[in-house]
Amino acid sequence: MIETTFSRGAALRAGPWLGIAAAASFAVASFMALIWAPADAVQGEVYRIIYVHVPSAWLAYLAFVVVFLASIGWLWSRRPLYDAIAVASAEIGVLFTGLALVAGSIWAKPTWGVWWTWEPRLVTTAVMFVMYVGYLLLRGLETDFARRATRAAVLGVIAVIDVPIVHLSVLWANSLHQLPTVLRAAGSPALDASMLLTLVVSVAAFTLVYTYFMYTRVQLELARQDRLRAAAESPRAQRPRLP
Amino acid sequence: MAAPPPASLIGLVALRELRAERRQLDGLVAAVTFIAVLVFLESLVVGPVVARDPDVAAALFWIALAFATILATTRSFDRELEDDALEALVAMPGGRDALFGGKALSLVAVLALVAAIGGVLSLVLLDLTVALPLHLVAVATLGIVALPPVVIVDVVLALRLRARAALVPILALPVLVPQLIAATRGTSAALSGDAVGALAWAGLLFAFAVVYAVVGLTIVPAAIE
Repeated sequence: MIETTFSRGAALRAGPWLGIAAAASFAVASFMALIWAPADAVQGEVYRIIYVHVPSAWLAYLAFVVVFLASIGWLWSRRPLYDAIAVASAEIGVLFTGLALVAGSIWAKPTWGVWWTWEPRLVTTAVMFVMYVGYLLLRGLETDFARRATRAAVLGVIAVIDVPIVHLSVLWANSLHQLPTVLRAAGSPALDASMLLTLVVSVAAFTLVYTYFMYTRVQLELARQDRLRAAAESPRAQRPRLP
Repeated sequence: MAAPPPASLIGLVALRELRAERRQLDGLVAAVTFIAVLVFLESLVVGPVVARDPDVAAALFWIALAFATILATTRSFDRELEDDALEALVAMPGGRDALFGGKALSLVAVLALVAAIGGVLSLVLLDLTVALPLHLVAVATLGIVALPPVVIVDVVLALRLRARAALVPILALPVLVPQLIAATRGTSAALSGDAVGALAWAGLLFAFAVVYAVVGLTIVPAAIE
């Protein structure tokens, strides 16, 4: 039997406010990225895609680290909430990894002259994308709730190793991809102050959007788990299976 | 009944695996044949000059060995499922914990044989010159040790699932990318005489082998129902 001690009252009340905050911050970030921030001296307007590309890449890292932590939580405590968090974060992580790849590719064409090149950051990011598509595939193939959550949690723990590999790949190998601009070991960010502020606001806005998506998706997953539990406790229950 | 010490139980599981492998050689034969076919195909597809390039030869060898690992591991678990032996092993005191270690040890032995045959085939058929034989042995040994832990974990995750044959490579190959890069670069360095490069890549392979062995020993018992 599935048990949950998660109190949903406060979370349900916070949901709409979270959505409003995400939408408002996204509007501010869009204004700053498209109008307020100056054009780049070398790249011109095309550089503005970093305000989508960088936050998407950041969210991909964040989402997969959350999958890792939630997977540990499930393996440790077997609380369904952790499985709901893991699946929600994995789906959102795949979405934002895909967005980072597409945005990077759109930027690469006018800057590097190609849509795609076989350089370490791109390849490791694509590998990470495939890895978490495999994670979602694994979840889709197992019908028993507890077995599915356990198998997915094991993969969630293993797959996270790709996150530092993606991030550090530009330092480990000769890379065409830009080296870290903001979090640099060498010192202060190598970015104009207004561009840096716009980037920070964009990252914060995307993080709020991620939080809102997480909130909504976790609620959906918990509702699905409730339906499963109700079916299992029903007198006419016939071996409940998640769709 | 008291469980035997973990190390001896792992040894017992490994020996049992090797005995089963000796009785039914299909997994080993499939893996060796697979590598041989790929070596022939390589020369035919890219031509003998390109095929002799150390980077190309090393890359193809390790990709073939990764697939051979998936074949051998899947076959090993299939044998268990056919005979209902997995349930018996897991029900044994300490059996659940010993499963990963025993499988990993036996698969390293099987893969060493597959790699030796495939390696000799590659060296002879492609007429490769080995500048640093000892370095090549070190890289190959650590590469062979680094592959099975990841594949065993993925085969366990996909156990009894439909579409398992497609799912295992999808799960395993992305995780194996760092090991494949290190093994390929290390082998290429040993073939071309770059001692420092070969040792550096061997060190990375060792690190990956240790990390995934610890992860497997810790986590596989939780993944087996």
